[in-house]
Amino acid sequence: MSTATPTAETSHGHGHHDHAPDKLALLKKIHTFSTDHKVIGVQFLITTMLLLFVGGALALGVRWQLAFPWETMPLFGKLFAQQGGQISPEFYTMLFTMHATVMIFLVIIPVLAGAFGNFLIPLMIGADDMAFPLLNALSYWFMWPAIACFGASFFFAGGPAGGWTSYPVLSAIQEAAPGSGTAQTMWLLGVTFVGVSSMMGSVNYMTTIINMRAPGMTLFRMPLTIWAMFITAILQAFALPVLTAAGFMLLFERTFDFTFFIPGGLVVNNADPTVGGGQPLLWQHLFWFYSHPAVYIMLLPAMGMTSDMLACMSRKPIFGYKPMVYSMAAIAGLGFIVWGHHMFTSGMNPALGMTFMVSTMMIALPSAVKVFNWIGTMWGGRLQFNTVMLNAIAFVSMFIVGGLSGIFMAAVPVDIYIHDTYFIVAHFHYVLFGATLFGVFGAIHFWFPKMFGRTMNEGIGKLHFALTFIGMNGTFFPMHLLGVAGMPRRYADPYLHPYLEHLLPMNQFMTICAILMGFAQILLLVNFFVSIFAGKECGDNPWLANGLEWSAPSPPPHGNFPSVPIVYRGPYEYSNPDQPEGLDYWPQTEPPVPKPVTSPVPAPA
Amino acid sequence: MVWPIAAVVLCWLAPGWNWWFPAGPSGTGAAMSPLGERIDDLFYMILIITTVTFVGTQIGLGYVLFTGARRSDQPEDAEGEKAWFSHGSHNLEVVWSIVPAAVLLFIALYQMEVWAEYRVQDAFPKQVIRTGPLAEVTARQFEWRIRYPGVDAEGNPLELKPDPQPTDLYTVNDLRLPSSQPVMIWLRSEDVQHSFFLPELRVKQDAVPGLVIPVWFEAIKSTEYSMLCAELCGWGHYKMKSRLVATPEDEWRVWLQELQVEQNYDGVSDESNDE
Amino acid sequence: MVQCTSIKVSEGWQQTEVLLVRLGQCIIGLAVLLTIAGCGAQKAEFNNREDINVLIPEAQDHVREVLATHFGQPTRMVLWERMPVHYHGASGVFAENAATAGKTLSKLNVTLTEENLPIEEGQELAWISGKYLGQPNPHVVSFDATASQVGIEPGLAEPPGAGDRFAIAPGEVLIHGRILYAEHCQHCHGVSGDGNGPTAKYLNPRPRDYRLGKFKFKSTSSSAKATRDDLSRIIEEGIPGTYMPSFKLLKEEENRAIVEYVRWLAMRGEVEFKLIQALKNDYSNEAVASQVASARESDSTLSASAAREKVVADLNEYLTGDWQEEFNDDTKFQAEQWVQAEEPSALVIPKLARVPDTPESRAHGRELYLSAKAKCATCHGDSGLGDGSQTLSVQKNPATNADYDTPGLFDDWGNPVKPRNLTRGIYRGGRRPLDLYRRIHAGISGTPMPAFGTVLKDEEIWDIVNYVMNIPFEARDRQPGSGAGTSGAGAPEVATTR
Repeated sequence: MSTATPTAETSHGHGHHDHAPDKLALLKKIHTFSTDHKVIGVQFLITTMLLLFVGGALALGVRWQLAFPWETMPLFGKLFAQQGGQISPEFYTMLFTMHATVMIFLVIIPVLAGAFGNFLIPLMIGADDMAFPLLNALSYWFMWPAIACFGASFFFAGGPAGGWTSYPVLSAIQEAAPGSGTAQTMWLLGVTFVGVSSMMGSVNYMTTIINMRAPGMTLFRMPLTIWAMFITAILQAFALPVLTAAGFMLLFERTFDFTFFIPGGLVVNNADPTVGGGQPLLWQHLFWFYSHPAVYIMLLPAMGMTSDMLACMSRKPIFGYKPMVYSMAAIAGLGFIVWGHHMFTSGMNPALGMTFMVSTMMIALPSAVKVFNWIGTMWGGRLQFNTVMLNAIAFVSMFIVGGLSGIFMAAVPVDIYIHDTYFIVAHFHYVLFGATLFGVFGAIHFWFPKMFGRTMNEGIGKLHFALTFIGMNGTFFPMHLLGVAGMPRRYADPYLHPYLEHLLPMNQFMTICAILMGFAQILLLVNFFVSIFAGKECGDNPWLANGLEWSAPSPPPHGNFPSVPIVYRGPYEYSNPDQPEGLDYWPQTEPPVPKPVTSPVPAPA
Repeated sequence: MVWPIAAVVLCWLAPGWNWWFPAGPSGTGAAMSPLGERIDDLFYMILIITTVTFVGTQIGLGYVLFTGARRSDQPEDAEGEKAWFSHGSHNLEVVWSIVPAAVLLFIALYQMEVWAEYRVQDAFPKQVIRTGPLAEVTARQFEWRIRYPGVDAEGNPLELKPDPQPTDLYTVNDLRLPSSQPVMIWLRSEDVQHSFFLPELRVKQDAVPGLVIPVWFEAIKSTEYSMLCAELCGWGHYKMKSRLVATPEDEWRVWLQELQVEQNYDGVSDESNDE
Repeated sequence: MVQCTSIKVSEGWQQTEVLLVRLGQCIIGLAVLLTIAGCGAQKAEFNNREDINVLIPEAQDHVREVLATHFGQPTRMVLWERMPVHYHGASGVFAENAATAGKTLSKLNVTLTEENLPIEEGQELAWISGKYLGQPNPHVVSFDATASQVGIEPGLAEPPGAGDRFAIAPGEVLIHGRILYAEHCQHCHGVSGDGNGPTAKYLNPRPRDYRLGKFKFKSTSSSAKATRDDLSRIIEEGIPGTYMPSFKLLKEEENRAIVEYVRWLAMRGEVEFKLIQALKNDYSNEAVASQVASARESDSTLSASAAREKVVADLNEYLTGDWQEEFNDDTKFQAEQWVQAEEPSALVIPKLARVPDTPESRAHGRELYLSAKAKCATCHGDSGLGDGSQTLSVQKNPATNADYDTPGLFDDWGNPVKPRNLTRGIYRGGRRPLDLYRRIHAGISGTPMPAFGTVLKDEEIWDIVNYVMNIPFEARDRQPGSGAGTSGAGAPEVATTR
């Protein structure tokens, strides 16, 4: 595929400026307590990119055990192996618990809302900074206590071992599992800190988007990224308190002997029977009341950013802008009433199962509408197959898989069988890795020039994409089959069970793919950091995009815009035949040329 | 965009490589309970719908990419060089909202009955309601402890009481129940949350601490089935390997009698003097 | 300067193709390398008892050496014939063949002494004694069970001596046991069977440490070892009230292999324990220091190192002399114990059938339970809650005769134990009347639960059994809904209308 027009040399005309801004301006402030939203965005981005490696390494540990059970892991294996070169089963539980925790709370949520939300929101709506810059800085620095807590929890007996869902009684009684002790407490504190951090972010985003839009930036002239961030912020603001409350309840239960979740009469670790009248299902309801919307928190911003990237790289307006907005709103609304589909087999009232099934099926609808609209956006476009576009296409393609496999689980009777098998693992990895992370990779390549005034290396970007794409599908697609074969999640050694024995070769194949994928991420890191210093210099608008952010210098100085931008049109006026200069883009800030009044009859051809 | 083709081909071949439903006693991966068969039917129905959608959308995507790529390869000044300028189509939006909505709603409503039968007590098979539970399965870290009612002097099983009785019989990791008839168990947990999973019968139900949950199922064939835990319950989660042995009812009764004799064995009485 | 390098990097960085190829190669190479490197598993090694450290280094070396010679390591096991372990697939002796002179002998008439695995084609046949010892081993090609004839390939030029011993599938059982042990048991019970695997520290009660050769729940008399069947039963049924789960679905042959491996570990541990005990008196660091000190007191010219050398020389003399014989006697005795445990006479079998479970019998049982004769209540408490007076008083360690630091009961492994709470209906050693009878008759080895076999008559024991088996239900009748049942107190009503 050819890399067509919009590249570095195209920045002539627009955005040529006399002063050469310091391209490393943002990087130089990264260690400071800066209240500049762009610095905070870059801080978030770099932190989460590094944490991505931690989470990935944990995942490779899990994969290793599944492919080569009880054998010493390469590289660090000797460090973890306990006796006879084996890891212990509680170490395995810690591996997958922390993999999920790191990926969800420290990578995906912060990279979307924290990094791109911070960086893009003021730029895209034409504001000089966030509404509450100090709060914004705090939201980044509150990540660190969380990282410290999560990090510390590794070192307490067994590590947190309740899974990222931390279902009580396992997570509530100290003796229930190795790691249900101090490690679990640290884990809960970590979640609380992350919660506070996201909360500060979301309040900020909502206020900023509502109050600080540039003149002319009406709600329906906002890019979809902003819509997505806005809706995400609302979701977060309403769902997060529930998780925080639940977390505190669990914390109180563990440390002060409150009784919320532990019923009486349980004999755990052969201790005396418990006394109390709690109900473990309560936690599940509270937890999923947050964590299902959290799935959309982890997806919507990526959807928004992908929409922007697709439109720009197809040189076409978004197909059905308003339906896109409405469907995001619908996802957010419905997202609050579908949490029960995580609990179909949990023993809650079966009538609830039916209601949740209907609402869950319905939430697939806005997702479907979005997919169709994305395809519509690309339909008839002049596609630029660069790294950004490839990642965005992968987002759409993978999201289709993740969405469709969700229908299996939404159907309660089918879910009876596939619940808590690898089918579910496949499903949410297609959504969170296949969709969200590809969206993020695309976004990194897309907005990198805005951050550092240089472009990332296109060739390495493509190689990274190809390896990740192959590795990702090689790793996660077979998981559907594992799930259908009945392989339960979170098993340290599934091959103990005769009916799963034959799955070993498949797991080995998946592990090799996962290793490939893991190493491919080094490319991203190398590309990112080397390109900061050595990437090809580009102007302010290398992609010839319409968004407000592209009319600011790269990187934007403190205060972003030289003067308050005025918005004249929506963000997706690509290839508009009315564009006076015949260009295929029409920046939002470009004043409209008053139409010369000519004869209504077009000139004969 | 080779990959959707590869995915479909893989799925199509997978059963042939035994990468499909657990082969089970039938060797084919077919569900071994009537309800399980219906679940499988629903599964295949969704599979067909999603496969069509999947292939359709991916082909659509591929087509769009292909034409888009062609367009961008054309020289700058050629006719139709610019992208098609369109903000969308209301009619299309309506079509592709209503069609999936109808399909999804259909799927949801179509599933209701099976779910009701599996979980709603009023919809349980009559026989199960009449006979009551035949065993109580208690999950604990990391095994299944099973309590059966004892047998009376004629060798008929007694009624299973919620509380343990002196006459009760016990096994561990070895659930035995009559085959070819719906049977019910009580499911409970002694410590943390577990999940009772019979892959070949497509039965899964969490064992929630503090609740006693009735679960019913029917094994078509008299044989041994896998039984395991599907909800993280601690470090030994994967160790909860056990079995369900389904036998014809009269054999089951004989086995229960034998179990009673064995459980009351005092080292001396070789005859059936089991009191 | 900075600018210069930056430009250079810049130029190189933008030559995509070269970069790509290099990077791609690096990544794929690295991935492959790591995958391969990871396949080499870290080896499992036995570790020694902690109290080996009280010995002087020379004595420690000796202990290690003896263990290495007779037991080896998990990955290179030494099959010491003295220990009564079923190491091999089968073993037997050569029974003379009729006139075979001049022909290659390919069918051996044998007498099998042990048959642990089915004899199959392709198994190795290893000579353990006779002239073929150390020669290349033939393979089994056929086996005729009725004629007790083993066909081998290649055949033998000359017949072996009558009574020459051989093993078929040598060591297979133990190897199989080790592999299964590593998969199922090791993370709790530890590589050396010390009950101290990585998971062990989270468990209550602690996993069994095999190295005293003691097992709690067995069918034999109080001083005897456990039988294979006892161990096998525990693996199959698990121990309720502990973290030992049931491994019911292991195949019979797998179960047996694990049992042999566990017995082997127990024997190894015992040998180690006794070795250290034997050397502890005279050759602990402390003892040697005091010997050196006293030697120097009597002869002030003696340097410390010379005095120490003298002690070491004593040690070496002892080890090459008397010790050999003592070691032989000890290990033979030890092996004998394991053999004896397998004999029917070792089993505890009531002479009298169970006394009918009548209210009178239970009342009598209750009387005995509280009586000074049986003293059950002193530990298990008046109402069977396991809260008797002994749990509150400071006990003496039977091994050292010193008081324990904390009040309460301890087992031989030094772990605190609680007397069983009899109201819960959990019986660790099995719930059959026979099991309870055995617990009372023979006590629980390694714990303060004494053997009552000599104190109480059979019918008295049965009365107590009848009473004890009724305690859970009695307790429930007294306090409805509390403390009853296998699954703890407050059994919720079933009517969870779902």
